[in-house]
Amino acid sequence: MRGRRAPSAGLAPWLFFFAAFGIFPLLYALVLSFLAYNPLRPDLVRWVGFENYVRALETPSFWRALRTTTVFVVGTLPVTLTLAYVVAALLAGARRAQGFFRAAIFFPATLSMVVISLVFKSLYAEEGLLNGWLAAAGLSRVHWLQDPALALPSIMLMDVWASVGYYAILILAARKTLPDEQLEAARLEGISRLRVERSIVLPHVRPVLLFVVLLNTIRSFQIFIEPFVLTRGGPLESTTTLVYYLYERAFYHFEMGYASALAFLLLLLVGIILLLQRRTLGRGAAEAGA
Amino acid sequence: MSARRTHPGVYLALSFVALLSLAPLLYMARVSLGKGNGLPIAPGDWFGQPFSLQHYRDLFSGGPMARFTLNSIVVTGIAVPIQILLAAAAGHALARVRFVGRGVFLALATAFLILPRQVTLVPLYLLLAWMGLLDTYAALILPHLADPFGVLFMAHYYQTLSPELEEAARTDGWSARAIFWRIVLPLSGPGLAVVGVNGFLITWNAFLHPLVLTTSESMRTLPVGLALFAQSEHSVSWGALLAGSSVATAPVLLAFAFFQRQIVEGVLKGSSR
Repeated sequence: MRGRRAPSAGLAPWLFFFAAFGIFPLLYALVLSFLAYNPLRPDLVRWVGFENYVRALETPSFWRALRTTTVFVVGTLPVTLTLAYVVAALLAGARRAQGFFRAAIFFPATLSMVVISLVFKSLYAEEGLLNGWLAAAGLSRVHWLQDPALALPSIMLMDVWASVGYYAILILAARKTLPDEQLEAARLEGISRLRVERSIVLPHVRPVLLFVVLLNTIRSFQIFIEPFVLTRGGPLESTTTLVYYLYERAFYHFEMGYASALAFLLLLLVGIILLLQRRTLGRGAAEAGA
Repeated sequence: MSARRTHPGVYLALSFVALLSLAPLLYMARVSLGKGNGLPIAPGDWFGQPFSLQHYRDLFSGGPMARFTLNSIVVTGIAVPIQILLAAAAGHALARVRFVGRGVFLALATAFLILPRQVTLVPLYLLLAWMGLLDTYAALILPHLADPFGVLFMAHYYQTLSPELEEAARTDGWSARAIFWRIVLPLSGPGLAVVGVNGFLITWNAFLHPLVLTTSESMRTLPVGLALFAQSEHSVSWGALLAGSSVATAPVLLAFAFFQRQIVEGVLKGSSR
């Protein structure tokens, strides 16, 4: 009887918001990506087909932003993943005060990225803490955010700091689903900790590690606040990520059609990366399980 | 149970990691409680220099920071309760009623969980501009109401909740509305706490959309106001900036202190930062 009722009134209010501010903007973005659209010149709106996409692929700034974003992902992901795994292992090993350590390490993940960026901006400042220490050690000051070769790595370092606790908590939760008896049995058989880690724990948490890789990649592709607050995409575009480039095009130059094409290229890239990672890492997981 | 004894090195390493995690925040608090414009560098400066509320007083006397704080409170205070109600109502409907297209719908909502939000940034801007809502509280609130996390989380939550009580009430002739308000909602506390606290974090910390959807200084939220304040390069006062950052952090710290378990549960179930 209940089976054939309409999706009751309960769903309707949220469905309205989801349709209006979720689904519709997504479809609208797709249409926009085929238009030349400057909101200040509504008389010039016209259909341009794939021109926006072609233009992106022919623009050095787009490729530069893509490279910056890729460097960011490739540089931070292995470090963040390794550190998060180690921290999770340490947390799992702590019998006492685990709650305190977990809280202290996870807390940065709940903070506003603007706040984190401002704190690191003060640490990286010319007269800031890091340079103060370098000077005290008799070394010369470093232009953390002003040197085109260092600005991106400085932001990446901050990202690792801000992310490790978050992923450590995810990995820790997966470790905890491992039955105690299994570890106990391994211990009684006298198997070394390292081997337990490698042949029992690692295969067990592997799906979560895959999830962490996917999540961190997706999020890294959306980096925006960090360059906005720390460097405004500079110096010399060295920290202009894809989303920062999109933001500039859309809201400084009002190229809304072009920016929408960039958004769909971003979506496409994220989709491709998800598929690739699922294939390579997923197959590895299947082999490890077999 | 009494597995291997923990190696002392584990505690040493964890203490180091915990210190590394908290040090930048302690530094933020210390600078905000200092005097003058310099950044303390040597450990002697951290403890030796006088403490003062000067930066906080400067921040809230005259400047726009009080307005930023008010805006953040208004937006979060309106958006989160609505999110909670929407999630309960829609989640309950999804869990209890099998309707045509339910599977497709769930898949679509799940896809939106991982959809990069920047994709809908430009069309949302144009849509809200067309509605005449740019630079209003409505523009800051409405996009948050489309977030599918709460709905999916509550749908899952209600599936683990036995429908017997609701069915008994229905046989007794209760209306669907009465059942929802008087039976379902009072049983939803633990689930709604997860939705509420994660909704709070996302709304309170939101940046890109509030940045784009507001144009006048009086409509900025705390994160946007702080970020733009930091960019008006001519007179960056670190003390004031980090005092503002501390103000933005205090409610998060409070939420964390009381709802850490719920925050973690939300993270594990896919609430995005």
